[in-house]
Amino acid sequence: MKRRIMDIVQEKPWLGWTLFLGTVVVVFLIGLLAASIVERRDEADLVVQVEPIDEWEPRNEVWGENYPREYETYAATADTGFTSRHGGNSVIDHLERYPNLVILWAGYSFSHDYNQGRGHYHAVEDIRKTLRTRVSQPATCWTCKSTDVPRVMEERGVGEFYKASWEELGPEIVNNIGCQDCHDPKTMNLRITRPALIEAFERQGKRIEEASHQEMRSLVCAQCHVEYYFKGKEEKYLTFPWDNGYSAENMETYYDEIEHVDFVHALSKTPIIKAQHPDYEIYMTGVHASRGVSCADCHMPYRSEGGVKFTNHQIMSPLATISTSCQVCHRESEEQLRKDVYQRQDNIEELRERAEDALAKAHIEAKFAWDKGATGQEMEPVLTLIRHAQWRWDYVSASNAMGFHSPVEAARTLGASIEKAERARTKIVRVLARHGYTDEIPLPDISTKAKAQEYLGLDMEKFRAEKKEFMETVVPKWDKQAEVRQAKY
Amino acid sequence: MFRPLQFFIPPPKWRLPVLIIVGILAGLGAFVLYISNAVSYLSDDPRACVNCHVMAPQYVTWRNSSHGRGTTCNDCHVPHDNPLRTYAFKASDGLRHATMFTLRLEPQVIRIKQAGIDVVQENCIRCHGDLVHEVSATSVTAMHAAAKEGLLCWDCHREVPHGRVNSLASTPYARVPLPGPVAPKWLRDYLEDTPQNQ
Repeated sequence: MKRRIMDIVQEKPWLGWTLFLGTVVVVFLIGLLAASIVERRDEADLVVQVEPIDEWEPRNEVWGENYPREYETYAATADTGFTSRHGGNSVIDHLERYPNLVILWAGYSFSHDYNQGRGHYHAVEDIRKTLRTRVSQPATCWTCKSTDVPRVMEERGVGEFYKASWEELGPEIVNNIGCQDCHDPKTMNLRITRPALIEAFERQGKRIEEASHQEMRSLVCAQCHVEYYFKGKEEKYLTFPWDNGYSAENMETYYDEIEHVDFVHALSKTPIIKAQHPDYEIYMTGVHASRGVSCADCHMPYRSEGGVKFTNHQIMSPLATISTSCQVCHRESEEQLRKDVYQRQDNIEELRERAEDALAKAHIEAKFAWDKGATGQEMEPVLTLIRHAQWRWDYVSASNAMGFHSPVEAARTLGASIEKAERARTKIVRVLARHGYTDEIPLPDISTKAKAQEYLGLDMEKFRAEKKEFMETVVPKWDKQAEVRQAKY
Repeated sequence: MFRPLQFFIPPPKWRLPVLIIVGILAGLGAFVLYISNAVSYLSDDPRACVNCHVMAPQYVTWRNSSHGRGTTCNDCHVPHDNPLRTYAFKASDGLRHATMFTLRLEPQVIRIKQAGIDVVQENCIRCHGDLVHEVSATSVTAMHAAAKEGLLCWDCHREVPHGRVNSLASTPYARVPLPGPVAPKWLRDYLEDTPQNQ
């Protein structure tokens, strides 16, 4: 009979112990392998995010710990060193460059101060500094300035946020436009955080949740780079006038139906619609949009750094990044592409200045007609023409890119603006003739910003002094309060 | 008659401990098979290849390439001339990868070895043969290429399909279906909800 383990072990008990200890070693090693597999699977979770980000974390630098490349390029929006012929990220005083604007906005704080916006990194500082926030504004103005907005909206409710005063929320809103505005903190998916865009889509019968990733690469920008108004005297509810469509005419119909007036012009008494910055809307009428090119494709081109491909978050004029923005599709030299852009912008600027000139004269001449005893009935068709002309002009000129987002649409809209402004002027001449005045209408010297502001009787020295005091007394308090609050995060 | 099982039966006083230890061994083995998704390696699903997260750049560059629509990893990286060779190659390649990954020997830049080159070149020809014979009367195999008698497909088609920059760090935030933590969700939720962890 063959010998069995039973017999061998009975003879030599040490062999039993050897077998036992051998098995212990095997189990130990398999245990180590199991532990290593578990560890490496957990590791996979960690490579995605170093430091978990809270749902409404407003501080961009906290996000930046996880996403250093994106954060560093975002932080580069602090740069103000790039100026193209018609834009860039440096401060350009629009009133100085186009003094007619002072006249066009007489009776509205835009005639006091209106600068080319700097990068996202300066959003909070710039809104604090502008003379337009010298007079009390609703908190709605904060909506597009900060990553703190979704957090405060979550705490207070959207309606309550808009109802508050701008000063009341000053200590809450301190972090500049950044990560939280467009990204989900857990997945980094693009996410809409501003209710106005979602609501505008709903009214159009669309669901923003169904937008494709490529559409989202524009829609996150469309949370802010759009035309909007504050609905309701008390509610000040941020609303996009998109119910009829995106063109100047579509929105004009909307505004006329609800008889919306942003301000009554101080000279001509025209009920004006002030355009904000319908960048997304103009872009939607253009050839790039119809080819499916998103905002991010040009303004946030891909970059490669140390073998890692990522999206450049230094959002700015693509004229600074022609090689990565334009040449990805267009096989022309940088110089040629820049020339092509400038050619379109120069032409739009020419039309824009013609419109501004006609509109400024129309406002001044309308005032002259009122002074000569024109009646409301006589002036009504004139004012309607001026309202529609100025809205069309503003639709183009308030937008970034000097019409380049859709040059043909911009030219068409400005053409209609010039025509309406000139028709208004012709009507004024007839009204004046009816009141016995047939001479040239005298025009003041408004060739510089200072002269134009003086003509309106604006006490700019006083405004600036008030702002300076606000910056020195109120703002440091806001920052202090914010610092105390954020220390608890 | 010799019965092998009989041979292993231990003396009576050892039987209980041996039963328990054999149970532990079997359980541990099952646990290892479970946490390593061992069964997935029998499939053609590319997700099996990102059970190890170091393959994430290869996975995501493939998925975003033209090949991502109609091919799997196995279509190119294991031979398809006969099933025995397919599984033998898969087993040897897989064991090698598992060993390197477990011992943390993976290089920063993973490069294909000669055996892999042979197979991939074979597979280029397998699918694109109709196109290739228009270009040259005889296809260049990896053997030809090694003997300097021709070039490999990707000597020219250098971006196909993984792109040209390949390192463990080249696609840091790529969306890859990594297997995730081992503990089931209900357990993780429970642990997160316990007060001392908050």
